Amino acid sequence: MSKTYDEINDKIRSGKAVVMTAEEVVDLVRQKGAEKAAEEVDVVTTGTFGAMCSSGAFINFGHSDPPIRMTGIRLNGVEAYGGLAAVDTYIGATSLIDPPGTGYGGAHVIEDLIAGKKVRLQAWGPGTDCYVRKSIDTYISLDDVNEAYIYNPRNLYQNYGVATNTSNKTLYTYMGKLLPRMKNATYSSAGALSPLINDPHLDTIGMGTRIFLAGGEGYVAWQGTQFNTSFEEVNGVPVKGSRTLAVIGDMKQMDAKYVRGLDITGYGISLAIGIGIPIPVLNADVMRRCAISDDEIYAEMVDYSLPSNRQCMQRYTYAQLRSGSIEYQGRTIRTSSLSSLSGARKVANQLKDWIEHGEFLLNKPCLELPKEGKVKPLLERGL
Amino acid sequence: MIEKKFRIDFDESNVLESVTYTLVSEFNLKPNVLRADIGGDGHGFMLLSLVGEKDDMIRGIEHIRGQGFKVKELNGHIFHDYDRCWSCGACVSLCPTRSIYCVPETQEVRLNTDTCIACGSCINACSVKAIQLEL
Repeated sequence: MSKTYDEINDKIRSGKAVVMTAEEVVDLVRQKGAEKAAEEVDVVTTGTFGAMCSSGAFINFGHSDPPIRMTGIRLNGVEAYGGLAAVDTYIGATSLIDPPGTGYGGAHVIEDLIAGKKVRLQAWGPGTDCYVRKSIDTYISLDDVNEAYIYNPRNLYQNYGVATNTSNKTLYTYMGKLLPRMKNATYSSAGALSPLINDPHLDTIGMGTRIFLAGGEGYVAWQGTQFNTSFEEVNGVPVKGSRTLAVIGDMKQMDAKYVRGLDITGYGISLAIGIGIPIPVLNADVMRRCAISDDEIYAEMVDYSLPSNRQCMQRYTYAQLRSGSIEYQGRTIRTSSLSSLSGARKVANQLKDWIEHGEFLLNKPCLELPKEGKVKPLLERGL
Repeated sequence: MIEKKFRIDFDESNVLESVTYTLVSEFNLKPNVLRADIGGDGHGFMLLSLVGEKDDMIRGIEHIRGQGFKVKELNGHIFHDYDRCWSCGACVSLCPTRSIYCVPETQEVRLNTDTCIACGSCINACSVKAIQLEL
């Protein structure tokens, strides 16, 4: 049994495509087997809604009269990049407000813009013969600007670690608040719903794959930074971070419901964003991989009180992690997630709804992403 | 029988008074000290959960007010903004009384204000400031 993108898209256009979420297909494949399920189901939708720090947005403000070549730019007091052409900028999610300390940053600027709020733009320039103006102070909204699109260099980590703290003091990390003496542990993947868990070797996902990006249509732009294929796999999926994706999408289509500016105590600012990827059921192998369940996906617990070289303490399945507690050397550790499973389900269900109603077609990738990738360390050395 | 929570503030003048014993022995109330904190200057506060008959509770509270304690009933002392909350779950494993929980069917994070002891552990774990504690 095999299907093509064209066949699946024809079914979507005629409103006859059978679409299920990656959670829903688990039981179906167990009951009927992958071959039979692949005949029945055309598309599997995945979803995740979590903190993705390596995110940001390109914006073109349009020219004022007289025009300015902006070299220093603040949006609601948050620094945006001034090294592009006159009125282009990139605002990174983790960029801090100046002066820092109010718990507001680039991610909040992005959320405010998507929510339709006005954002203060202050910019300064050198004043040149062609751009005489030296400063401007005004307000912009998403409707006012020419282009605004998210470009996130590293999103959708395939899997992620579990964090705990063996020390005697509370740690405030990007993995949340970790109580002393292993009182709790946190994890972050959406598990069985997570996009890259369901297509672990990127057989269907590639450059140009159309995706759900924060309530709008987006695309896979490239492999994400720190793209890594070298980790051990269990049940066909890696037990650590591994692959990542760079994604792009029009901010003007996005819905603030799927975006949150985060102020993570002790760490800083990050952006939570809802992303879903549709997986075309091209054959039974694709179907089989989509049917992976939380009790088959493992993550490694590490001690965040160690400054570096954190070794795996123990592996746990997402089913164990989601149960609320895990056991480690005879003691019970309470667990909680850092990414929203309810949000991930909303993403996967919204995408399912779009496809079922013929509003979202699948795009065949124009380029495969690398089959291999390694992460190199940063060395400290002289010339 | 009713159950209510109170914040009782004391200072140097009444720090040695035995509030809970009085409430038990004279007013037949069952107190549970949720939190107690006293500084080196003799100022401090105590969070009490009281169970008992309504009349006893009114008379008991009046009595300790008469002794110079500042007493404030905690009603909606903790507020969870469900619009702002995105149900990430970062707070869930921190709550000592398991008042914050994931609803099994929806996986949405919810707060049971009845069992919350206002320890505040969740407050700085929330990345969107969706939980506010007012004592």
